[in-house]
Amino acid sequence: MDHLMTGFMDVLNPGTILWVAAGVTLGYILGAIPGLGKATGVAVAIPLTFYLTPVAALGMLIGIAKGSAAGSAVSAILLNTPGEPSSAPTALDGYPLARQGKAQKALKMGLFASVIGDFVSTLILILLAAPLARYALLIGPVELCAILLFSLTFIGGLSGGSLTKGLIAAALGVFFATIGLETETFIPRLTFGLLELEDGISLVPMAIGMLAVAEMINQAGNMKALDRETSAISDSAAHEDRVITRVEWRRSLPVIARGTLIGSVIGILPGLGASVASFLSYGATKNASKTPEKYGTGMIEGVAAAESADNAVVPSSLVPLFALGIPGSVIAALLISAFVLHGLTPGPLMFQQQPRLVAAVYASMILASFIMLIIGYTCQRLFAQIIKVPLRLIIPGVLFLCCVGAYMETGSIFSIYVMLFFALIGFFSRKLDFSFVTFLIGFVIGPNLEFTFRQSIQLLGSDITNLKHHPISIVFIVLTLATAWWTGRSNSRKAVVK
Amino acid sequence: MTVTTRRNILGAAVAMTIGCTGLMPEAVAADYPAKPITMLVGYGAGGQTDLVARATARVMSADLGVPINVVNKPGAGGAVAASELEKSANDGYTLLFHSNSVVNSAPFIMKQVSFTPESFEYAGMITAYQVGLATQKDSPFSTLSEFVIWARENPGSSYGALSPEARLYIQEIAKKEGLDINIVPLKGGAGMMNALLGRQVVLAFSGGIHYRNPDELKTIASTTTFRHPSAPDARTIEEEGYPLGMDSRTTLFLPKGTDRAILDRLSAALKMAASDEEFKTFTASANIPIMYLDVDEAYKEMSATYTKHKGIMEAAGLTAQ
Repeated sequence: MDHLMTGFMDVLNPGTILWVAAGVTLGYILGAIPGLGKATGVAVAIPLTFYLTPVAALGMLIGIAKGSAAGSAVSAILLNTPGEPSSAPTALDGYPLARQGKAQKALKMGLFASVIGDFVSTLILILLAAPLARYALLIGPVELCAILLFSLTFIGGLSGGSLTKGLIAAALGVFFATIGLETETFIPRLTFGLLELEDGISLVPMAIGMLAVAEMINQAGNMKALDRETSAISDSAAHEDRVITRVEWRRSLPVIARGTLIGSVIGILPGLGASVASFLSYGATKNASKTPEKYGTGMIEGVAAAESADNAVVPSSLVPLFALGIPGSVIAALLISAFVLHGLTPGPLMFQQQPRLVAAVYASMILASFIMLIIGYTCQRLFAQIIKVPLRLIIPGVLFLCCVGAYMETGSIFSIYVMLFFALIGFFSRKLDFSFVTFLIGFVIGPNLEFTFRQSIQLLGSDITNLKHHPISIVFIVLTLATAWWTGRSNSRKAVVK
Repeated sequence: MTVTTRRNILGAAVAMTIGCTGLMPEAVAADYPAKPITMLVGYGAGGQTDLVARATARVMSADLGVPINVVNKPGAGGAVAASELEKSANDGYTLLFHSNSVVNSAPFIMKQVSFTPESFEYAGMITAYQVGLATQKDSPFSTLSEFVIWARENPGSSYGALSPEARLYIQEIAKKEGLDINIVPLKGGAGMMNALLGRQVVLAFSGGIHYRNPDELKTIASTTTFRHPSAPDARTIEEEGYPLGMDSRTTLFLPKGTDRAILDRLSAALKMAASDEEFKTFTASANIPIMYLDVDEAYKEMSATYTKHKGIMEAAGLTAQ
């Protein structure tokens, strides 16, 4: 605690506050622009960190990470094009809200859910990093495999109209994720001799194509209708459509709490990331709701669920880094670079070597949460005006930024081809009503599931009875079977009723 | 870094004049460098090699008097960037900062990669990778020979492997000693640390990041030909009786046919990094030992390791996929 006070003293000077605020703003804007996001933030920030003091550099990087996680909700809600894949579930209910003239309400909920998720998760990091990281280590590949298997059952809830189509899309997602070097024996799969495919299809260009480009093409096709709508609805004048009412707060707070919990846990676990967290949180909220059929038509809880989980991942993914020296996420790897550049070994040694700097990092994280609230609140009024801009002005700009975003990650034109390829798939999946959300889930979870399964085979010595030493995985396997049976049964009932 | 000084402009003007009048290449080399240099890096921004590259670029840029722009071209362990370098002009203005493993190991692992030491020119090497076998601090063995004895008494133990080389080591040891060990695939340094700290595996191949947690992890053997500066007491795998030591070092690659005078100029700038205070602080905190090699030593190291690694991998029956 004493250290934390010193930390605040180190951070609360105009210079550092300015850099943290600059980071949050940059992140928020990059996040809000479709196509650009964390990957771009990294490219911009790395060379800058050389020239800043350690506290300012770290504060700025944390600001970018937090800001982009929150900002990605903006374009998801206003344009139906998530700034990052993890905000894809936000668009499911956020965009219908915006089309109903409730853009400001949805943006506010997205922002508040983001800030709450982020802030609570930051506190968890500060207070519980060491013990939590210990517990997380108990979740080995065998347990992780069972948890991932269970999370696949959420496809049932997120399939939209048809379970069969949802499953087909998810299977396609798994299929595309198998491309690249197979991770156990390092045999290239389906690379057609292309070196660029050895590392597999990268999530960023794939998601940009599938989510943003495809959506822009789709909207271009409906431009007349959408423009007519735009001039008719614009921004609702009614006060209750601009703010979150008390009733909505009451409905959303438990959802935010669950989202924050899911996000924090997923962040600590190795290799899952923000997309898994926001999908799980959205799926869980929909499953728990009394009116699941209303999701996708503009339920404010949907926005709250996705955004709280998405943002809670950022701070908690630093837990393994700080406590054990394990870089659990992109932003953690980034912070490592900032740490070592300033002569600090990331990991448990930091606390002994430089407790003051660690405290300053903590303080700047808390500071970033508040700055995010202020900047987000100021910007969202401005951003909400976008809904009034005719689409013919928006689409070309967004397509350009998509190309920039896809190119930035690998610095190669090949990524743009990947983006275009998935734009086609995304376009047809919209036209034929296949869920791109389940496709993404398949793409993100599939390879992790395969990998942990292969690890488990080795760890269990190819003997399934050894599972008895892994009670957590048995629980999740049973849960999976039960959920699959239940989903199948209710689905066939629905078919009978129809 | 990107400030254009009068000297640069003058240099550029001189270079252009020479270019137009078509003087001998030696004259061009004498003016080198006259414009900004592009440094390719074969890994993504923020990784360990990328950081060393950027820190090196900073020192070299100060010495050369021109900006060095770092461009990340990740993919296939650096093979994508190396292929791009191969196609670049050999005027010394495009170079690649990467592990020499892309030449001395990758061709034996990846079918699509067919580099040989003759594919590039080299302007020196700067840091080494501390690859080795790591385990928990309290594990019952502290050396490789103790591990072999322990593994014989405890068949079915788990070993973590994050790369083809990592599999090769344990397969060779197991074959020679008749051990029964399960090889658990791991993803990257983070997966390796998780598996060791979570006690899912008893031993793992590490690229060096286990030195971040010296309270809980230790090295039982280095798989390099030298002992690790971070663990001078741990013997090398060769000292333990297995001729399998494979070194990799960060190297400055240039396109084939680059003028020797340019290589020497770059090598002199690279040498500045070895004694630069900031560079030393940074590499020390990342547990990266500085082992500078000049142009001639770099060529020698490249062809020697190429031949040696080829022999090791072929003897182990590893075929390029």
